[in-house]
Order: sequence, then structure tokens, then C-alpha cells
Amino acid sequence: MLITRKALVASALLAALTGLAQAQSSPTAPAPAQLNPNAANPNTPSTGSAASKLMLRGDAYGVSIAEIRAQRRNEMLVVQTELLNGEKSDRQVYWRYRWLDADGMQVGDDEGWKPQRLMGQQSVYLKGLAPKSTAVDFRIEMNVEK
Amino acid sequence: MIRAKLGNTMNIRPSLLPSTSRIALLGFALATTTLTGCNTVSSPVVRFDREVNYGDSKAVELVTNEFGSTDLQMIAEKMTQSLLDTPIFTGRPTVTISTVKNKTSEYIDTKNIMNSIQTTLVKSGKVRFTRSIDEMQAGVDELQRQNQSGLYKKDSAAKMSQMKGAKYSLEGELTSIVKQNSQTKDVFYKFTLKMYDVEEGTIEWQEEKDIRKTSKR
Repeated sequence: MLITRKALVASALLAALTGLAQAQSSPTAPAPAQLNPNAANPNTPSTGSAASKLMLRGDAYGVSIAEIRAQRRNEMLVVQTELLNGEKSDRQVYWRYRWLDADGMQVGDDEGWKPQRLMGQQSVYLKGLAPKSTAVDFRIEMNVEK
Repeated sequence: MIRAKLGNTMNIRPSLLPSTSRIALLGFALATTTLTGCNTVSSPVVRFDREVNYGDSKAVELVTNEFGSTDLQMIAEKMTQSLLDTPIFTGRPTVTISTVKNKTSEYIDTKNIMNSIQTTLVKSGKVRFTRSIDEMQAGVDELQRQNQSGLYKKDSAAKMSQMKGAKYSLEGELTSIVKQNSQTKDVFYKFTLKMYDVEEGTIEWQEEKDIRKTSKR
């Protein structure tokens, strides 16, 4: 499943690009029920806008999500987020995934925060794999330092 | 606060009270306000002069560039995600943990890394772990206690010779490269984990995690 989005830059919320786009929402987590139209089918990763998947703490300082891909491999939900630094100066990003089941309950414990240095104009992939097969949805939690 | 409480719970408006009652009420309210202003409610903690706080155990730790909690968490996460991403665990095979060598110059409890990996894998429900060499003696002791002490009913005692051998064995090592000059210290950690098929001796899965930590001296 592909969720493709131009992503957010600081205060401007993301513009949805594909037909999967749902209504725009705040970067802080909206209600799971609105994000997870496929909750009835646990084998299908949830759809939703990139904005709805992002829990951004503070300013993005030019860092944006270029694309999010999610698919199920060996029964486990696998997510790949492409992060882009649109500025010329480096950015320090701290990120982690949060996994949710069909009822919007968190699956497993919190992941550890991970540091990621983004050089100017660089993009990186942030890969994640749910700890249990019951995960059908996810959020990416992130904050950015200049 | 008194007014609100009286108004809400007793439906008595102070303006309707006799003047003496109003003065008494005002005095009580003033005394209460003064008291609550002076005294804050204490937390159920034992705290001495040095300030101690609980922090986020998942936060990125940047105190020094020695091996730390974030390194442990990142290594364990990379290994478990890589293992669960392969179809090797189809059918819930049995796995055991063999040696994990620490080849760095630091003291690092590599068992801790393997415990984190094992915990996540067990909780995933995709694999079963058998006792490692370190854990075997406790299992043998318990079996002998149940079978040889004469204390247990025969039908409830765990039977001997029923342990399941592991199909796979996890072996790993942690190495580091340290470079430093008068201004900078750079440490490069590499954790390598291999999963062997015990019977055939072949490597069925392998993964690495690199970590670079640089600090000013």
C-alpha cells in the first residue's frame, strides 16, 4: 500500500497528493477511528494522509515527509517514511514509530527515540516494523532541532 | 472557594446570611486561603538535598560517547525488526542464545542486548526460545529436584529427557573503532548478529548495526 504525500513544513500542514487522501488534519494525532478505515480487516494496513500519521513536536524547521509506504510482510506491518530536509543547513531529527491495533490501542511498549542527522537537502528512509502482527496502524513521532 | 462550594452544594448565598455569619464566613475563607497559600501538598517521594528526577527511559542519551542505553535500544530494535522481517520464523521454530562477545575496550553487558532482543521476539509470538547455556543449570536443578528429591507425585513431576533442542542459535559480537585527536573523539560501534542452523551449521540470517558517536574533547 502506498501513501504518497507532500509533507509538512512547520506551520503549513501537508497537502494530500494521492487518491488515498483523507480530510486534512492536525499533525497531532486525531482520533484513530477517522484514520483507520480498514480497521475491520486486520490484514490491511490503514490508510490516511501523511499528516494524520505524523505527530510533530514543535517546529519542523524545513524537514518534511516526502512519502510514506506501508505494507504487510510475514504478517507484520512494515513502514517506510522518506524524510526530506528542504533547507541547506543540517537538521537533527529525533523520531520513533508508535503502533496501533484495530481498536486504536497501542501495540507493545514505546519504541526508543532514535537520533537521525539530516544534512542539507538530504533525504533518508526511516524504516519500522511493528512488534506484533496485531498492529494495523501507526504514527511517526518526531521532533526537529536546528 | 468557600463561596463556590456553599453555592454549589448547599445553595446558600452569603449575601443572604446575617451579618455576623457573613463576617465569620469571610474570616474562615481568609484563613483557609492563607493556609493553602503557605502549604503545598507534598508528593509521595523520598527526596534529599540532591535533586533527582525520573526521566524518559526511551530518550536519546547524550551524556558521554561511551556505549549507552540508546545504543542498546537501537541495536536491539534493528535486530528484532530484521529477524521479524524475514520468513525464517514461519512455524514458530525454537531458538537459543549462544555467545555474544564484547570486543570493545569498554565493559558492556552484551547479555542485556540479547535480553532485549529475546523479549521483543518472545512477545511477538513468532518464535520459541529454549534455555541458553547460561540458563541451563537452573533448569537441570529444577528437573532433578522434581524427579530425585522424592518430594513430588510422579504424575505431576516434569519428565526428564523431554527438553526441546533449538533449531537455531544466535551468536553475535560487538566491536568498536575509536579515533581521537586533541579536539574530537569518534567512536564507531558495530554489532553483528548471526543465526545458525544448529544441525546443519549454516548461517540462515545475519544483520549488522552501525553506530557512530562523535564528541568534542
